[in-house]
Amino acid sequence: MGGDHPSQECKAPSTPGSKKLRSLPLGLYLSGGIVALVFLLGLIAPLIPYDPAAAVDYQRQLAGPSWSHLLGCDGQGRDIALRIVKGTEAFFWPGILAMTIAVIGGAACGACAGYMRGWVGQAVRGLMQLLDTLPRLVFIVLLCTILDPGMYLIATTAGVLFIPTIAAICRRKVETLASEDYILAHIAHGFHPAWILGYHILWLQCRPLLIRQACTVFSYVLFVETALSYLGDYGVQEPWPSWGNMVAQTREGVGFWPWFVPAVMIVVSIAALLAFGNAIARREEAMR
Amino acid sequence: MRPLLRVRDLTVVFDTAEGQRKVVDGVSFAVGMGETLGILGESGSGKTISSSAVLGLIDDTPGVCGGEIVFTQGDHEISLLEGLDTCVTQRPDGLYVKDNRRWMQHVRRVMTPIWGCGMTAVFQNPRQCLDPLERIGAQVEESVGLAAPHLTAAERMQAALDWLQKVQMRDPLRVYRSYPHELSGGMCQRAMIAIALARHPALLIADEPTTGLDTTVRAEIVALFHSLIQESQASMIYISHDIREVLYLASRVIVMRSGRVLEEATSEDLLLGRGTRHPYTATLLHAADLPTGQVSETV
Ligand SMILES: Nc1ncnc2c1ncn2[C@@H]1O[C@H](COP(=O)(O)OP(=O)(O)O)[C@@H](O)[C@H]1O
Ligand SMILES: [Mg+2]
Repeated sequence: MGGDHPSQECKAPSTPGSKKLRSLPLGLYLSGGIVALVFLLGLIAPLIPYDPAAAVDYQRQLAGPSWSHLLGCDGQGRDIALRIVKGTEAFFWPGILAMTIAVIGGAACGACAGYMRGWVGQAVRGLMQLLDTLPRLVFIVLLCTILDPGMYLIATTAGVLFIPTIAAICRRKVETLASEDYILAHIAHGFHPAWILGYHILWLQCRPLLIRQACTVFSYVLFVETALSYLGDYGVQEPWPSWGNMVAQTREGVGFWPWFVPAVMIVVSIAALLAFGNAIARREEAMR
Repeated sequence: MRPLLRVRDLTVVFDTAEGQRKVVDGVSFAVGMGETLGILGESGSGKTISSSAVLGLIDDTPGVCGGEIVFTQGDHEISLLEGLDTCVTQRPDGLYVKDNRRWMQHVRRVMTPIWGCGMTAVFQNPRQCLDPLERIGAQVEESVGLAAPHLTAAERMQAALDWLQKVQMRDPLRVYRSYPHELSGGMCQRAMIAIALARHPALLIADEPTTGLDTTVRAEIVALFHSLIQESQASMIYISHDIREVLYLASRVIVMRSGRVLEEATSEDLLLGRGTRHPYTATLLHAADLPTGQVSETV
C-alpha cells in the first residue's frame, strides 16, 4: 500500500468569486449607496428636533434651493430637506419591523412546512395557502377603514402578508436540499436537525433570497406608507411630514420643488431597494 | 471479543416498479470493540443499504422491515430496531406495509444520542458530502465544537487545524480557508475523515471511501484509515468492492452478493487460502491475483 506522503492533489489556488468581484456591477454600488443613505436618514431622523409649527415662515414661501435651504422651501416656508429627513420616520422603523416579521416568520414557516411531515407541517402549509389568498393592498386598505390603525400595525400586517411568499421560497429550498448527500452526512455526524435547518439551509443557502425578499418588504412598506399619506385619510397627517403627504402638495398647485423632491425620493428609494436586493442575491448566487 | 455492534437477520425492502424487492435479505454480522470488519461485494450487492440501515438513514418505504441491530454504547446495549414489529405488518400476500412516519420518529429518537459519537460515516462522494457554501475549516470546527462544546473559538480553530494536520493535509491553513469546490476529491475525503473522527466515534462506517479517486490517492486514503483507526482504537466497518483494500484494513471480512452474506472469514484465512471458499469469493480472490489456490492445496 502507498506511502504517507501527500501527493499533488491540489488545484490551482483561487478565492471564491474573485473573478466576479472584479466585474462587480455598478448597480450594486449605486443602489447600495442609495439604500444606505435612506437607512442613515431613518436612523438620524429621530435625533433631529423638529417643531412643525415653528418651522413655518411665510417670508420663505416657495423659496428655491439655496445654501441655507438646500432643497428649497414649501408653501408654508418650511425647509424641504429637513422635512424629507423627518419624513423617513414614518416608514423606517415600520419597514424594519415588517422586514423582520416577514423574514423570520417566512423562514420559520418555510422550514416547518418543508421539514415536518406530520400534522404540524400540514397545518403550516394550510395556513400559508390561506394567507396567500389575501390580496395585500386591499387587505391593508380594508384594515385602515375598519381600525384606522397606526403605521406599526399596518407594517405588522404587511410583514405577515409577506410570510407565505418567503415561506414558499424557503420550503422549496428545504425540500430540494433534504435529499442532498451533505445534509444526510450532517445527520450521520450527529448535528441537530434544527442546526442543519437553521444554519446550513436557511442561513447559508437561503440568505441571498431572504435579503432580496427583505428589500422587497421594506420597499412595500415605504410604498404603502407614502400612498396612504398621499391619499390623506390615513397615514401621517399635516403638519407632520411624510414623503407621501409632501407629494400631495402638488394638488394645491404650489411650486415645483415641494412635490418634486419627495416624489423623486419615493421612486428612487423603491427602485434602489429592489435593485439592491436583486444585485445582492445575484452576487451571492454567482459566488457559489 | 465483546461486540460493539450485532446485526442479525437484517431485511430491507423497497417498493419498485415490479413490486416489492428485498434488497437486503437476512444479513447478519458483528463488529467487535476495536475491530475492523470488511464488507466486500460487487456494486448493487446491498452494501450501502445495509450500512445505511444500521445508521438509520433509510427513509424510502418500506425500508427496514425486519431483523435486530444491537449497539453497545458505554455499558448499555441499545436495540436500534426495537418496536419495528409494531410499525411493520406483512400482509398475507407477502407485501410489507409500514407506518413510515412513526418509524422515522422512532429512528430519530433512538439514533440522536448515537449519531456522531456512537457511530458515524464517511461516504463515497466526499465533495457532495461537504457543505458547498462553508469553508472546510468551519466545517471541521463545527464537528470539533460538537465533541467539545467548552472550547473557545481560538482553541476550536487550533483543534480543527490539528485535525487537518492529522489527516495529512499538506497545507492545513490553506485547506482551512478553502471551500470544497477548491479541493480535489482526495482532499475532500481527508476533510470528511477529519470531520467524522473529530467526534471520536466508537464505530466508523466507511462506505467505499476511495471510489472515484486516483490510484495513488486511494492508496494514501487507505493508509490514512489504517493509521487513524489504529490510533483512535475505534471500530470500523470498511465497505469496498476492492478486495485488496478490504484485506489490508480488515481483520474479518464478509462477502455480500444480491443482498445476502455469502461467506464470512478472517482476512488471514482469505489471504492464506485456508478453509473452503465459496466459489464467488474464490473468483474475487482469483481476479485480484492473490495466491490462494496454491496455499489451499498445501494447508
Ligand atoms: N431507494 C431504492 N429503491 C429501490 N431499490 C433501491 C433503492 N436504493 C437502492 N436500491 C437497490 O438496492 C440494491 C443495493 O444497493 P446498494 O446497497 O447501494 O449497493 P452497493 O453494494 O453497491 O452499495 C441495488 O440493486 C439498488 O438498485
Ligand atoms: Mg454502495
